[in-house]
Amino acid sequence: MQRRTLLKLGATSAAVLLVAGGAAALLQPGLEGAALSPAGREVFAAVGRAILDKSLPAEDGPRQIALNGLLKRVDGLVQALPPHAQGELSQLLSLLASSAGRRALAGLGPSWPQASIAEVQQALQGMRLSRLALRQQAYAALHDISAGAYFSDEASWPLLAYPGPLKI
Amino acid sequence: MSQLKDPIREGIARGWKVSGGALGPPPERIICDVAIIGSGAGAGITAELLAKAGLQVVIVEEGPLKSSSDFNQKESEAYPSLYQESAARKTQDKAINILQGRCVGGSTTVNWTSSFRTPAATLKFWQDKFGLNEYSVEALAPYFAQAEQRLNITPWLAAPNENNDLLRRGAASLGIAAATISRNVKACWNIGSCGLGCPTNAKQSMLVTSIPAALDRGAQLLTETRAERFELANGKVRALICRFVEPNGALAQAAWAQTAIKIIAKHYVLAGGAINSPAVLLRSGAPDPHGRLGSRTFLHPVVMSSSVFAQKVEAWSGAPQSIYTDHFLETQAIDGPMGYKLEAPPLHPVIFASTVPGFGQGQHELLKSFPHNHTLLALLRDGFHDQAPGGRVLLRSDDSAVLDYPLTDYVMDGGRRALLSMMEIQFAAGAKQVFPLHEMAQPYTSWAQAREAVNALPMKPRLTKVVSAHVMGGCGLAGTERQGVSRPDGVHWQLDNLSIHDGSLFPTSIGANPQLSVYGAVNRLAQGLAKRLTGRDVVLA
Repeated sequence: MQRRTLLKLGATSAAVLLVAGGAAALLQPGLEGAALSPAGREVFAAVGRAILDKSLPAEDGPRQIALNGLLKRVDGLVQALPPHAQGELSQLLSLLASSAGRRALAGLGPSWPQASIAEVQQALQGMRLSRLALRQQAYAALHDISAGAYFSDEASWPLLAYPGPLKI
Repeated sequence: MSQLKDPIREGIARGWKVSGGALGPPPERIICDVAIIGSGAGAGITAELLAKAGLQVVIVEEGPLKSSSDFNQKESEAYPSLYQESAARKTQDKAINILQGRCVGGSTTVNWTSSFRTPAATLKFWQDKFGLNEYSVEALAPYFAQAEQRLNITPWLAAPNENNDLLRRGAASLGIAAATISRNVKACWNIGSCGLGCPTNAKQSMLVTSIPAALDRGAQLLTETRAERFELANGKVRALICRFVEPNGALAQAAWAQTAIKIIAKHYVLAGGAINSPAVLLRSGAPDPHGRLGSRTFLHPVVMSSSVFAQKVEAWSGAPQSIYTDHFLETQAIDGPMGYKLEAPPLHPVIFASTVPGFGQGQHELLKSFPHNHTLLALLRDGFHDQAPGGRVLLRSDDSAVLDYPLTDYVMDGGRRALLSMMEIQFAAGAKQVFPLHEMAQPYTSWAQAREAVNALPMKPRLTKVVSAHVMGGCGLAGTERQGVSRPDGVHWQLDNLSIHDGSLFPTSIGANPQLSVYGAVNRLAQGLAKRLTGRDVVLA
């Protein structure tokens, strides 16, 4: 990714990058071939755990299966987005996956895989109520995609006591 | 998969002229009488009437042709295939999520069937401010009546589901008048999945009424085909250039799909819906001497209040919308503080989970309340005040359309009052707790507590959850060239062989769910166009 494409995210993100001292040339794309890249998966795995926390199965095995299901559904959701939205999401995840972007945009010190659920939740809360439009937009994208994708599959419907489609 | 008869697959089997996607490419060059862009409310009515007048009609639709056999009541399939931008279309600052159809039948394939004639106060405003003297209640009445007969629009006589009845009971206990909504359905199964495509063909959408009527008369339908731009010369449209698109709206990659399709018609009808119709004209470099194109685009910005009841509500089940109140539209001047219409939306897992604010324990408790959850929505009536001028359609660097819609303090003041009204009604109906959809709100267990909290909330974009399912304006009608894009007869002020026949015509928002307003207005415009092109009189019903 080149600096000029990053700047499309707007003046705010440019400022965030400058503050963070980020080197755009080092960033990995958040999406590859209309699916999450390894960098993008790392962000969504941590964010999904934090956002869905109590709604995921408590035991390790089923919890991991649920999280893998979430990431697969996020891939499906991403594939259906139009090119401009895929581009923006890729840039957002790219920024968040870089250490400078993670600190500046999410306000998160530890790396995504190492951060505790409480730390990621605190970072999300900071974005959610931020005065910066870009941080609020990032929160909304992470929240809506995680929650929407997770509950798009019938495996998650028992929690909602939703019976699913009627047979016709 | 539905075991019921599928009139669309039957039509294809008996030889309808349909192309695009799996149905194969159309010829690269098409010559016809009228090219219609879009296949939703305005396009469908126009296609039926013009085909009836004996004209050779070509319909160009960006979305796919899906029908009852495909409609499996699953959001995971309906949103990507039937909605613009996979149901995640957003305004430029991402403060408003927009639900808009993108499939054969347009938004009529996925709407909740609520049908209202254009309110008298709205028409009066158009006459007074936009010189639209022909747009009176009396002049439009016969055209509404025909559309209502054609599409079986009648008041919903079955009992409302609990989700809607809570609005009725809550309003009644506060002395607020509520009424029954009319719906365009025939032998409705009362399932509740209207927003995901009707699996029983009960909904009288364009998909199962006017589009089949036009195809039966020989009209040609191009699906998964985007109207890219018009070729213009000397104040006329000379051709329409189209491209094939992938399911996600990207330009198609297959070798056969690389060639542009050129459609040459005597007359062109633009009915791709607000946002998309102005975008076609912007991409075409259409004349816009007064800077009106794409401006005054309205959304009925929606704010919502979620609540939890002791009893089951099951808001996914039953006719999605059957009760409304216009109390808060009618208790103040149309150009005074912003008015709002209250309705109850259906809830399904994806839309519910992505709308429930927050994360962790609080979110978990709300998610678990799903079967007991009752949400109200307020449609804020934009376009009637200087501080509610709507938004403007712009093109991104890739030529896709985006709406810049600033949420002004005036609009957000309406949002605060609407949240208060909805919460009061929910408590009056017996809610255990209410939760206005705002990032800084909490669940509240009494009206006094909720009122105090909402009066203190910062009503800012993005902190307040705002959505829209009604996009209107951008090619506004006006009695003078200076004030709008379209003449009162729907013809473009500067392009004589181009008509605009969709919700983008409206010079303000409607102040009610707009589908019947589109049917009624376009019914008249299309009858006039048929007369102009053929000398023949045709009627819908």
